[in-house]
Amino acid sequence: MKLAFTAADEQFREEVADWLNDNLRDEFTDIRYRGGPGDEHRFVDERKAWERRLADGRWTCIGWPEAWGGRAASIEQQVIFHEEYARAGGPGRMGHIGDTLTGPTLLAFGSEHQKAKYLPPIRDGMAFWSQGYSEPGAGSDLAAIRTKAVQDEISGQWKITGQKVWTSLAHESDFVFVLARVDRDSSRHHGLGFFLVALDQPGVTIRPINQLTGTAEFNEVYFDDAVCDAEDIVGAPGDGWKVAMGLLGFERGVSTLGQQMLFQTELDEIIRIAKANGASRDPDIRQRIAEAHIGLKTMRYNSMRMLSGREDGSLSREAMIYKLYWSSWHRNLGKLAMDVLGPDAELIESGSYELNKLQSLFLFTRADTIYGGTNQIQRNLIAERALGMPKEPRGQGK
Amino acid sequence: MNFNFTQDQLDFQDAISSMLRTEVTADSIRARWQNESGIDSAFMQQAHDLGLNSMLIPESLGGLGLTAVDFILLAEACGEVALPEPLVESVMVTTPSLVDILDQGLGNADVQKVIDGVLAGDVRVALGHTINPCINYADSADWFLLPDGDGVYLLPKEAVTLEAKTSVDPSRRLFSASFAASDAYLVADGEAGANLQRATLNRGALASAAQLVGLSRGMLQQSVSYTSDREQFGRAIGANQAVKHLVADVAVQVEYAKPVIYRAAYTVGVSPSRADFAVSHAKSAAGRAGLLASRHCMQVFGAMGYTWECDLQIWAKRAWALAREWGDEGFHTNRIHEWLLRKNALLGPEYTFGRGSLTDRAKAG
Repeated sequence: MKLAFTAADEQFREEVADWLNDNLRDEFTDIRYRGGPGDEHRFVDERKAWERRLADGRWTCIGWPEAWGGRAASIEQQVIFHEEYARAGGPGRMGHIGDTLTGPTLLAFGSEHQKAKYLPPIRDGMAFWSQGYSEPGAGSDLAAIRTKAVQDEISGQWKITGQKVWTSLAHESDFVFVLARVDRDSSRHHGLGFFLVALDQPGVTIRPINQLTGTAEFNEVYFDDAVCDAEDIVGAPGDGWKVAMGLLGFERGVSTLGQQMLFQTELDEIIRIAKANGASRDPDIRQRIAEAHIGLKTMRYNSMRMLSGREDGSLSREAMIYKLYWSSWHRNLGKLAMDVLGPDAELIESGSYELNKLQSLFLFTRADTIYGGTNQIQRNLIAERALGMPKEPRGQGK
Repeated sequence: MNFNFTQDQLDFQDAISSMLRTEVTADSIRARWQNESGIDSAFMQQAHDLGLNSMLIPESLGGLGLTAVDFILLAEACGEVALPEPLVESVMVTTPSLVDILDQGLGNADVQKVIDGVLAGDVRVALGHTINPCINYADSADWFLLPDGDGVYLLPKEAVTLEAKTSVDPSRRLFSASFAASDAYLVADGEAGANLQRATLNRGALASAAQLVGLSRGMLQQSVSYTSDREQFGRAIGANQAVKHLVADVAVQVEYAKPVIYRAAYTVGVSPSRADFAVSHAKSAAGRAGLLASRHCMQVFGAMGYTWECDLQIWAKRAWALAREWGDEGFHTNRIHEWLLRKNALLGPEYTFGRGSLTDRAKAG
C-alpha cells in the first residue's frame, strides 16, 4: 500500500490544472460548474464548443490508445484528470458517452472499419453519442427488449423498428447505439444485435420527456424503419448482449472520483449556506453534515481501492456496492440540502419554474436511486453475484 | 374510554371522500395549474353547500358546532386526493382562530362580520403565521388574519400588499404578505395575541399532519396499483419482495401516524395545555410518513415516477411542502424535547390519555 501519487503523476496533475486554468475562461467562463446531472440540457452549444477545445489540447478520450488520438493514460492519470476537471468547475461533458462508452466498446469489439469511421470524430469533439438500451417494457429487465432489426437480404442494410426511452440528450446527439432483436423467434438475451445508428434520418423521431423538475434531459426515441448500414452492427448478429454487457463494464470506472469531486462541491455549498443562515447551529443538522462528510470520504477510499490493481479498468467485486452506496448517499444529501434551506426550500426565485441548484439537487437525486439499475436491483446483484446467494425466482420471460 | 370515531363521523367521511374522488381528479388538478386563480369555484361552492365552512363554528354563532375530531377524517380525505384549495386550512385553522378571538371577548366588529361572511360562503380569509414565510392562495382572500409581534390583525385585502412567489409544488399559490400594523385592525395583543398565535400554530400543524397522512395514503394506493400492473422479468414488479417491502414500510408509518393525529385532534379541543406536545408528535409522525411515502412510492414507480406526466408528482411535491409548513420535523421534535425535559413533566402511563384536566391544573413546569 502506498497512498501517495508518484512524482510523474503529480506533474501530470499540474499539467491538467494549468491547461484548465488557461482554457476554461473567457468564452467558457459561463459554463463552469454547469451541465452536470439535472442541468444537462443547458449550454449545449457552448459545451460542444468546449469539447473541441478539449480535443485541441488532447484532453478528450485520454484513456484511449495513442494510435486513436488518446494518451493511453493510466488509471491514476485518469483519476487525476477527473479530479482536476471537477475542481476547476469543468462543465458536464457532452462527449461523455462517446468517450467512455462508445469508444471503449468499439476498441474492444468493433471492426477496423467502425473504428476508422467513428473514433476520430468522437476524439475530435465533433460527434456526440447517446445510448439506446431501455424500452418502455424493458427497464430493470433489459433483456425484455422488443425493438427489432431486419436485414435486407440483397443490400445487407438493417432496418430498425421500435422504441427506446430515457435516452439522455438524444435530441442533442448525432448517433445512438441500439440494442435490438435480430432474430424474431429469440427471447431474453439471445438473438440480439448491437447497432450504430445515425439520429439524423427520416426513420428516427425524438420526443423529449418532461421531468418533474420541469426540464427535459431524457427522450423517447422512435425507430420506424430507421436505416443502419450492414457494416454498422458491432460483433455478429446475435452477439448484441455480449457487446452490451461489455459496454456496461466500462461505465462505472474512473469517472467515479470526478463525480465525488462534484459531490464535494455540493456538500461545501450546503455547509456554506448552513453557516450563513444559522442552520449549522442546529444539532441535528450538524450531525447530518458530519455524516455526509464521513460518507463521502468512505466512498472516496473505496473508489481508490476499487481502482487499484486493475490495469484494464474493469470492475472488481467491490465495484458492485458503489452504485447503491453513492446513490443513497446523494439522495440523503439532497434531503439535507432542503433541510438546511428550511422554509425557503419550497420557493422558486424566478417567476417561471426554474429550480435553483439545491432544489434541483434534491429533485434530481430522487432519480439517482433509479437509473443505471435501481437500488433494489443493485441489492439483488450484490446478493446473487457478489455473495452467490440463490437467485430470485423469475416469471416466464417472453 | 373509546378511541373510535362514531358511525356518524365515519359516514360523513365516506360521503365527503366519494365526493372528493369524483370532483378532484389528477386531471382537474392539472387544469387548476393552468387557470389564473388555481381555484375550481364550482368545487368550492359544493364544499360550502355540504356545510364544511360552518362545521367548526359554534351553534351560538350560527355554525354546526362540531370539533376538530369531527373534521380530522375529512382533512385526511382532502389530502388523499391532493386537493389544492386551502379548504382544510380555512375550516380547521383560520375560522377557529376567528372564533377564538370572539370567545375571548377580543376583536372588533369586523370579526363577527367576517365570520358571518364565512358562514354565508361569500368571504374567504387567509391566515399568516411567522413560522411560514408565505401564505397559500392569498390572492383569492377577502380578509387576512396576520401577526406582527404579539399582535394579531384582521385586515381587509386592500390593506395588505402581496408579492407572488413560485412553489416547487405547482398546486400551491404562494404569496408573501406585508401590511402597516394599525390599531384599527388589531384584534388581539400582548399575552392574548401570543396565545392565539400559539393555538394557531397547533391547529395549522395538525391540519397539515392530517393532510400528510391522506397524501401518503393516496401515494400508497397509486403504488399498489402500479406495482401490480407493471411487469418486468415476466411478472408484476410487486411480486418482488424488494418492491413489496418498500410499499409495506410506508403502510406501517401511515397507520402509526393516524392514532397520533386523532389523539392530537382530541387534545387540541379538550386539553389545550397538552396540545403542543400532542400536535408536535402528530406533525413529526405525519411528516415522516409523508416523506417516506414520496420517497418509496417514487422509487417503485421507477423512472416513470420522475416524469412530469406521472401524477405521483402532484402528491409527492405536496408532501414535501406540507412536511415543512407549520414547522418541519426538527422544529417539532424540539418542542417534544422541551416538553419532556420540563421540570415536573407528567410522563407516567396514566397521562397517556386521561388526566388531561389534571395536567392543566398542575401547570407543570
